[in-house]
Formats: sequence, structure tokens, C-alpha cells
Amino acid sequence: MTMNDRKTIDLEQGWEFMEKGITKLKNILEGRPEPQFSSEDYMMLYTTIYNMCTQKPPHDYSQQLYDKYKEAFEEYITSSVLPSLREKHDEFMLRELVKRWGNHKVMVRWLSRFFYYLDRYFIARRSLPPLNEVGLMCFRELVYQELKINARDAVISLIDNEREGEQIDRALLKNVLDIFVEIGMGLMEDYENDFEEAMLKDTAAYYSRKASSWILEDSCPDYMLKAEECLKREKDRVSHYLHSSSEPKLLEKVQHELLSVYANQLLEKEHSGCHALLRDDKVEDLSRMFRLFSKIPKGLDPVAGMFKQVHPKETTPIAASLILGVSWRYIPSAKTKPPSPASEL
Amino acid sequence: MRKEDTVKLISSEGFEFVVDKKAAMVSQTIRNMLTSPGSFAEAQLGEVTFPEISTTILEKICQYFYWSLQYSSGKETEFPIEPELTLELMMAANYLHT
Repeated sequence: MTMNDRKTIDLEQGWEFMEKGITKLKNILEGRPEPQFSSEDYMMLYTTIYNMCTQKPPHDYSQQLYDKYKEAFEEYITSSVLPSLREKHDEFMLRELVKRWGNHKVMVRWLSRFFYYLDRYFIARRSLPPLNEVGLMCFRELVYQELKINARDAVISLIDNEREGEQIDRALLKNVLDIFVEIGMGLMEDYENDFEEAMLKDTAAYYSRKASSWILEDSCPDYMLKAEECLKREKDRVSHYLHSSSEPKLLEKVQHELLSVYANQLLEKEHSGCHALLRDDKVEDLSRMFRLFSKIPKGLDPVAGMFKQVHPKETTPIAASLILGVSWRYIPSAKTKPPSPASEL
Repeated sequence: MRKEDTVKLISSEGFEFVVDKKAAMVSQTIRNMLTSPGSFAEAQLGEVTFPEISTTILEKICQYFYWSLQYSSGKETEFPIEPELTLELMMAANYLHT
């Protein structure tokens, strides 16, 4: 390999050759009948870039090639990717988005390998973002920014459908939310700001609506059963398609809307609230009550308040000692003026 | 050497060097090509042509691959380079990212 007898490649010429390779790649991505890249193709494309970057100035085309690399993505996105996404809606749009993101990642991987020589010296010398990042940024600026709101709303609407009992495509949601995570390039900001925030708000509104009708219709034990079931389902949701970091925030919202807001109303229900449960020795319901309310900060305070009002005579000894034993250990506020179990019973 | 573990490197004059894949992957460029996900037809065939690298240089490079593997496993020997080859060898090394 000698530099002396190498013909200088002109930018126009060299780029024309690269264009052929890029077109071939696009065809493969679009599913058109196109033979796969051979190792010879790869070497020729890599070599062309290599040569164009190692020629003596003014034929050192590194800067132009770096710009053209970016332009290649921009051109493909604006002419093919965006139009196909814009003509679809809701779940269909989500599917197309997932497909296009997958394609995009493949395109970045290939083009960055052809243009690899730029990554070796040029970008370091000029402190520019590496090829990989440039490629991803193109998708982020042109596609993600335009579609993130619609995508977010489509996802939230599917989540609400699932809450109402419909079967939804969980794998699709997982793939879409992976985009929100990956587009952040190491940071969770995009996922949190562009998706999670709205999702939490929608969740709160959803459970607020449910709670306001359940509190009127259901007995305390039935309400608590529903609440427990909801929490279980939301946790399941996280494990299947939400990002794990959403779990505590999500559960906190649900607990707040279902339990904190209605705590007193729930406990004071005349025929099925705390008094009734203690009187009728409903140990299972009482332990559910304890389980649910202990998760909320200061959640057990209203419960402790109720216990304090209960005369030991109104409960069976077993229930009383169970409850008092529990409250002794876990509720500091119940320790003021303790009725001593042994003497009262 | 099993067929699946080897790759054929072909010089500009058409000389074929069959080396272990592990050795060839010392070159980042070759590694990139062989590890491209799924779509290289010839990755299965395992043949790479270097129209710009001469036979002498390619031979030296193959020797370097093996020396490099040896060196990283602890054996600290010297790699002899004839002075007249240095410039070409360096350029090839740059090209192959070795």
C-alpha cells in the first residue's frame, strides 16, 4: 500500500461510490430484494473513506465526509421514515415507530462502520461527537421530537384499556418504552419528562375516578380488596413493560388516590368500617387493612386512632390482643395511654 | 484448524493466507466486518480481499496477529520488522486498525 501511486479520489467521485452503498443499505432495510453486503463491498466502502481521509490537502475530505454522513441520515429520515410514520395513527403508528427505530439502529451500525476511519482521528482532533452519537441524534431530532407526544398518548391510552380489562400487546409497549429510554443516551430524562410524568398524572386521575365511585358503593372490606388488587396489577404492569424506575412512583400515586384520600371515610364506614371489623373479629380484613395502610407514610395514624376508641369489651380477646400487639409494635402514637391487655381481659 | 474458526485474507496479488479468526480479529477493521450482525454473506465464507495490501506486507501482518496473541498471554518476545517494510507496514496497520 503505497501513497505515491494512489490516484487521488475526487470528492464527487468518491461520494458517488458511497451513495451506491448507502442506497443498497436502504434497500435492504426497506425489505426490497437486494443481495446482502459482501466483505468485498464492505472493504471497498471502508477503503474509499480511508483514502479520502488520508489524501494530502486540499484533498483531505474528512470534514465533508463527516457532514455527508449526517446528511445521509437526514435525507433518509425526511424522505422515507417520517412520511410513513405520519400516515399512521395510534397502535399502528407505534408499530411503525418500533420498526423504524430498529432499522435506524442497524443503519447507524453499518454506516458508522463504513465511515469508521473518521472516528479514529478526525472526531478526536476536532472534539466532535462520534459517528454513533451523530446517527442517534438525527433520529432524536427529526423523529422522536415530532412524535413523542402522540406516542406517549397512544401508550397511555393502551394502558387505560388494559386497566379496563382489555387485552393489549404488552411486547409492543415494552418496545416503545425502550425507545424512550434508549433515546436518552444514558440518561433517564427523556423517559421521565416525555412519558412518565404524563403517565403518572393519567394514573392518578384514573384511580381518583374509580375511588370516588367505589367509596360510595363498596363496603370497607370490598374496597380494600379492590385496592389491593389494583396495586398488584400495577406492579405487574411495571414488570412487563414499564421501566423499573417507575415502580415506586406509580405505586405511590395509586396508594394516594385509593387510600390516603379516602382513609377516614373508609375506616368510619358505619356497618363495615374499623369498628365493625373489630367487633366481628374479621382478622383477615383487618390484616389487609394493616398491610395497605402501613405502606403510606403515616398511614396507620387514622387506623391507630380508631383502635384507641375501641373498648376492649367490644372485641373478642384474640382479636384485641392481635390488634394491640400489632399496634404496640408498629404504631408509636398508639402507645399513649395503653390499656394493659392482661388486666382488661 | 477447523474451517469455522478460520478466515482467509487475500493480498492484492491474490495470495491467500488462512489464519485463525481470533488472530484476524486483532485488526479492529476485520473484527468489525466479521461481527456485523447477520448480514454479511461472506462472513460465512470467511474471505476478505485487500486490493491495496501487498503479499509481503500481508504476510508480516499475519505474523503480527499471532505475535500479538502470544504477547498478550504473557510471552514477551520481540517482533522483528525489516526497516524497508516499516512505512508500508505502518500504513497497513493504520488501515486495519491494528
